[in-house]
Amino acid sequence: MKTILKRFAGIFSLGCMVVFTHTSCDNDWLKPEPLSFFSPENVYTSKSGFESLLITMRKDLRLENTGSMNYLVMENASSDLGAPWSQLDFYNLTPNTDVYYRFLQMFTAVYGSIKNSNVLITRIDDITWNNESERNAILAEAYWHRAYWYYRLVNSYGDVPFIGEELKGAKLDFQTHSRWAILEKIKSDLEFAVQWLPASAGPGVITKGAGNHLLAKVYLANLEYAKAEEAATQVINGPYALMKARFGIDADKAYRNVIWDLHRPKNFSNPQNRETILASIDRYEAPAAARSTGLYTMRHYNPQITQPQVLDSQGKSGMVASGPMYDSLGRGNANVRLTHTYQYGIWAYKGQTWRNTTDLRRSDINWVDVHELRYNNPASVDYGKPIDVKFLANPVDTFKHVYAIPHYIMYVPQDDPGAQPFGGNGDWYIFRLAETYLLRAEARMWQGKNADAAADINEVRERAEALPVTAGEIDIDLILDERARELFAEEPRHSELVRVSYIMAKEGRNGYSLESFSDKNFYFDRVSRYNNTYAKKIELLGNVSNMAAFHALWPIPSNVITANTMGVINQNKGYDGAESNLPPLTTIE
Amino acid sequence: MNKNLINSTRLLPYGLLQLCMLLLFCGISNAQALKEVSGKVTEKATQSTLPGVNVLVQGTQRGVTTDADGNYSIEAAPEETLVFSFIGYENTSVIVGNQSIIDIEMASSLTNLDELVVVGYGTMKKSDLTGAVVRLDAKTFQNQPMTQLSDMLTGTIAGFNANQGTTASGGSSMEIRGPKSLNAGTEPMLVVDGVIFNGSMADINPADIETVDILKDASSAAVFGARAAAGVILVTTKKGKEGKPTINFSSSIGVAGTTSKYLPYDGEGYLTFRRDAMRANNPSMPSFYYDNPGNLPSGVTLDQWRAASNNAQTDNTREWLSRLRFFDVETKNYLEGKTVDWHDQVMQKGVRQNYNVSIGGGSKNVSYYWSLGYENNEGVIRGDQFAAIRSRLNVDFKVTDKISFGANTQFSDRDEGAVMATNVGSNGLPNLGQMYVMSPYGDAFDEEGNAVWFPNTFATGSPIINYYGQKRLRKQHNFFTSLYGKIDLPFGFSYKLSFQPRYTWLKDYNFYPSTTITGGQTYANGYGTRLDNSVFEYMIDHLVHWNKTFDDHSLDLTLLYNVEKYQDWSSTMSNISFVPNQNLGFNALQYGTNPGVISDDRKQTGDAVMARLNYGYKDKYLITASVRRDGYSAFGVMNPRAVFPAVALAWKLSDENFFESDIINQLKLRASWGVNGNRDIGAYSALAQLASNMYYDGTNVQVGVFNQTLSNHALVWEKTQSLNVGVDMSLWNNRVNATVEAYDMTTTDLLMRRLLPEITGFKDITSNLGKLGNKGLEFNMSSVNINRSDFTWRSSFNFALNRNQIKNLFGDYEEVVENGQTVRRELPDYSNQWFPGQALDRVWDYNIQGIWQADEKDAAAVYRLQPGDFKAVDVDNNGVYEALTDKQFIGYSAPRFRLGLRNEFTFLKNFSASIFIRGDLGHMAAFTDGLRRGGADTYDRRSTMDFPYWTAENPTNEYARLNTNTNVFGGGINFYKSASFVRLQDLSVSYNVPADVVSRLKLSSLRVFASGRNLITIDKWPGWDPESAGSNLPMPRITTVGLNLSF
Repeated sequence: MKTILKRFAGIFSLGCMVVFTHTSCDNDWLKPEPLSFFSPENVYTSKSGFESLLITMRKDLRLENTGSMNYLVMENASSDLGAPWSQLDFYNLTPNTDVYYRFLQMFTAVYGSIKNSNVLITRIDDITWNNESERNAILAEAYWHRAYWYYRLVNSYGDVPFIGEELKGAKLDFQTHSRWAILEKIKSDLEFAVQWLPASAGPGVITKGAGNHLLAKVYLANLEYAKAEEAATQVINGPYALMKARFGIDADKAYRNVIWDLHRPKNFSNPQNRETILASIDRYEAPAAARSTGLYTMRHYNPQITQPQVLDSQGKSGMVASGPMYDSLGRGNANVRLTHTYQYGIWAYKGQTWRNTTDLRRSDINWVDVHELRYNNPASVDYGKPIDVKFLANPVDTFKHVYAIPHYIMYVPQDDPGAQPFGGNGDWYIFRLAETYLLRAEARMWQGKNADAAADINEVRERAEALPVTAGEIDIDLILDERARELFAEEPRHSELVRVSYIMAKEGRNGYSLESFSDKNFYFDRVSRYNNTYAKKIELLGNVSNMAAFHALWPIPSNVITANTMGVINQNKGYDGAESNLPPLTTIE
Repeated sequence: MNKNLINSTRLLPYGLLQLCMLLLFCGISNAQALKEVSGKVTEKATQSTLPGVNVLVQGTQRGVTTDADGNYSIEAAPEETLVFSFIGYENTSVIVGNQSIIDIEMASSLTNLDELVVVGYGTMKKSDLTGAVVRLDAKTFQNQPMTQLSDMLTGTIAGFNANQGTTASGGSSMEIRGPKSLNAGTEPMLVVDGVIFNGSMADINPADIETVDILKDASSAAVFGARAAAGVILVTTKKGKEGKPTINFSSSIGVAGTTSKYLPYDGEGYLTFRRDAMRANNPSMPSFYYDNPGNLPSGVTLDQWRAASNNAQTDNTREWLSRLRFFDVETKNYLEGKTVDWHDQVMQKGVRQNYNVSIGGGSKNVSYYWSLGYENNEGVIRGDQFAAIRSRLNVDFKVTDKISFGANTQFSDRDEGAVMATNVGSNGLPNLGQMYVMSPYGDAFDEEGNAVWFPNTFATGSPIINYYGQKRLRKQHNFFTSLYGKIDLPFGFSYKLSFQPRYTWLKDYNFYPSTTITGGQTYANGYGTRLDNSVFEYMIDHLVHWNKTFDDHSLDLTLLYNVEKYQDWSSTMSNISFVPNQNLGFNALQYGTNPGVISDDRKQTGDAVMARLNYGYKDKYLITASVRRDGYSAFGVMNPRAVFPAVALAWKLSDENFFESDIINQLKLRASWGVNGNRDIGAYSALAQLASNMYYDGTNVQVGVFNQTLSNHALVWEKTQSLNVGVDMSLWNNRVNATVEAYDMTTTDLLMRRLLPEITGFKDITSNLGKLGNKGLEFNMSSVNINRSDFTWRSSFNFALNRNQIKNLFGDYEEVVENGQTVRRELPDYSNQWFPGQALDRVWDYNIQGIWQADEKDAAAVYRLQPGDFKAVDVDNNGVYEALTDKQFIGYSAPRFRLGLRNEFTFLKNFSASIFIRGDLGHMAAFTDGLRRGGADTYDRRSTMDFPYWTAENPTNEYARLNTNTNVFGGGINFYKSASFVRLQDLSVSYNVPADVVSRLKLSSLRVFASGRNLITIDKWPGWDPESAGSNLPMPRITTVGLNLSF
């Protein structure tokens, strides 16, 4: 009994010791200890921490062009070159819903990318740097990314709130800044950045060339044409050159051509390709977490040829989602339904038409035209014969089921043989020297230097074996046509049209003005001229195609406006809620 | 396909077992030498005679009732025992022996007011309680199917809000008295045999439960301080009793169907739906274009019909199906008359089995209870299955009179590796969406019998792919024990030290071979993952207890010191593209070619000190005061500790000399006040977290970082202060017991994820803001309505209402002009729909009046709407639906009133029956399917749910057209339907096999029973079941039979 008592006393005193030990060091006992995640305090303490942030920024560039409904889909579907087939009535794009597209999500997602830049910019002096150039090179890249995304915002959404620093607590009193104030700010950031960015770097890394290219765009947007010309010249003088000779993965296929080579994603970051200024990087061989779901080019831009609406001569379905056609043209969904203008209109020049143009960008080998689409249903009597649109049950069916395909751009086979052919993983151009020439052409044109502009344009045209243009023909429409021919599915088309619209409005050209921008603007007029979808009142999904001038700018998501309870974020004129707007802020410290 | 066969074969051995049992009962009892025994029964205190007392010969069917003068007469053998029972009095038993006259005095039992109730860190007589505590006796539920403890709690206690779970694992949402938090967890804390249990309720076998006590008010829960705000559930498990071992065996088997049907279209319905969908999408086509050529509307000729197409096929039926955009496989199956019933493919009748065996007993110095249970439930969705082996060992050794040691140990092995024939969301709940989009004319299986990925060749994947293809192992092993030593010290002190380790080990291994979409299309050549997680946590409680009574004073003091530490470790590995083949599955992930690893470990710590004093004066005036100081690492950066005080008073009014009543036997008034905390926000919520971002630059894999959450180092506990008043009474010889409670609770420093404008790059920030109020009223009553030896009827009734109000939110104000006056008002949170001054569950939305009809075309056009679209009230009548001006408060999403009524009967000597009716009333739920969201662009290629829609030919004023336009409703619109219901939730009948049969079988008791759950529901919910309206999942209707025997 005694031993038991003793033993128990032992346990008791052990218990007391536990009390004692725990109370004696209690502050340590309750200290939270993160085990499997980093916090800002233990990462942004060295150069490598900042470099890790830059990795995220570089990866974010891929949001432009990979995955279902990426940003470029919206940019092209609301332009002179394409239309959004499942939401043809732009009145259905409201601050609350973008239906099947991501006009609203894009807005908040872009701010997510801006946040990463802001963290780096805010914390840049939290550590001691070895030297100024090391610090400034890192800061320059962050400035570039922030400028890139604000450039995209102000040309898609107009006036938006400018956030320039890392947020460390709740903030609900955002206000809208004027587009012009934001352009001023990113201009000065980029002017700093180009001094410190490296002349050359690995794939996906921002270089001085990418800095000057973006700066040229910003100068243009800000109506500083001479500076734009100068910035573009810096790039053109740089270590870049237009690709004029065959190269890359298909170089030994004699029936292909340099334009084909130039548009193979596997060639974008090939060191032989001296035309690339900046490409986003996305590879199938990367670990699953490091790669996207693919470029989706065939899915988004190609017609829905394999749907049962494509009838054969007996009225039976002529197509199946397998076999020929499907394997090379993919499972098209026409999210960006190509306009007649892009398929045919802009290729007519000096007597040449799309049928016989020398322009490689519309050559037969590079495109799959309607007459080349063939019935692929083995059960059809017409198997292997060309698709005949007169067999379609309803004329409107041609709209999204049968149209010509710029195969040289869209063709991205899946590396994964089991995957549906939507367009596989691949790099994509962000900036390419051909665009730099066209930017300089535009800068020169606005300055009235049309001969120089024509020379720049012809650099691009001659490489594509197109007939040269003359100084007398130069105007903004011609430059935009050339951009369409050269940069389709590569440039943010809607943004660039809006940028030009603002230039015309601010300069008061053609009767445009900033005051009446939501009622009358160059964007809407050009889209109306070049894209007859809206005039034709096409009816699909119970939607009747419709667009107004104010749709030049996309709506600010209402959830952003309502969550900002302590301030007013402006809505673009024409959309519900704009009546609460306050004048935008015109300066940024 | 093979899985279907298993269900029926699995039943076979069980059926044989039941049969054998029945055969055993076919004995005939022997006659015994009986003599007549008679006597009188009187009330001990008053010496008055007691009529109506049941007199039963123990273990037999022989019983009588005393007459008006308290006399009885019965036949019994000398070795037999007479048992006297009467409601409100303690049972008395007497061995007959050689007596022929047996007079009995019966003492009043104070019934349930006198029983011992478990409170935090101790027990109390119910009559001495000062707080709001409710006891449930597990016996009440012994005849109904129970998978988890929560099955006892759904609807049965006023103020305990629990909805039934829908899956095979059971479980439910639980909330005591209303939502006291915006974002932190509101699940009550579990305490098992006196110690806090952080594990899953699913680890506790309901068959091991003796009683459940619910602490509802702040005072009774305050001893658990920091975590008690959501209420506390105290579970007491069975213990061995002194005497020879008692072996108990029970088993039940049942079938689960659904309470209602919410189906996809069948073949005929699909054709009609597709016709209407095509018409709606293509209004410019003649409406007869999509009609069956064999059944054209009058006035339309076949030629007209054919000519409407530019290129009509020669075969009219094929042409028609082509117009309906049928895929080839659909046309083929239509022509062959083949359809697939997707409901049958996805859903099933689930078989449920439950077996329990236990041995309990003890001697003077040792008591023991051991049990082993096996549960295997199938859900109503094919593949949904929950299997568990649960075991418990409770032992207690008395070393001396003053020292005891013991352990309460539980082990469970849960098998959750079933793959459902549907998608499963990240919350673990199934999502039946895929079932509805499948074409009934598609192919479920190909010629080889393999499930087809895309049954009608359109991109909608078949729901059953993973069921037939995915391989899964998900096992969770849980071990929890409370090891304790207790010593009685001089001067009324006692000390208890206990140590509670808890271990869990989880394996979740999955392999998606190429036959699945995940392993064949999303990832090439297979995809496998392995998650291994283990948890180790412990708590140490030092408990000092002091009990002293002198003169009229009684004192009871409890002191506690507690420390706790929790750690868990998770590793996930994955791989894809397996070579040379996928035969080894998740057992050999190294054969994949693109591995991935993730590890995620967590740690949290806490400590607490607590003191409680119970003081009673003359056993009439009772006071309880307690204070607890808690520490928790999640708040450790700046505010590691907080203090939670409470005090409660009770007055036993009926014990006062001046209290005279023939009706009221007992009357007690109670009042309590206290503060409880809630820390359930996550171990690292105060810290800013970075997330990783893997990137490949074409040469190297790089890891990027980005800020994922914002920090808030100042985070503190959420505190709920509550006031509770209660009245307990018992009436008419304790035949009626009633409790009324009223409470007022205020929660401050709400832990919330405050939403930020998303342009910040963050969705939210964890903050302490605002103030939330809950007021309510609860009423519990139990009564013995009829108490005769051949028939008894008892009822219990509960009613509860809770009124909730957001008193403050973020503290941001605006000035607005209302009725010409400038009013300063707090800004609401529109994103979360939180409005200061309104209930948390207030529904703020457009008030849908009906549907725009054909003759209202022009009025609808003002809103850019058409006939068939929703017609909502435009409050300011400006022709635009704007959220801030046109949304209104249109209802509540939580029940306004809850009630439950249980009636229990015994009849025909050996039968008993129980009926439980439950109602949740006055609330609404969003019927999101009614918005037809995201369907319009693919309605021409797939199916959908079978519920009504508006068409010009069949206009309704309730449901919108198929491709209704909801874009014009600023801020979005939701479509609400009433979720009120009254249901017959439980019905059970049991039969006690007569004692003479039982004893011949060498058993001490044998009971067979049958029960049904959710047999009848009265409601207006258009989806599956109003109780699961939030998830819109099928609610099981379960019928069970079973037996229980002991020897």
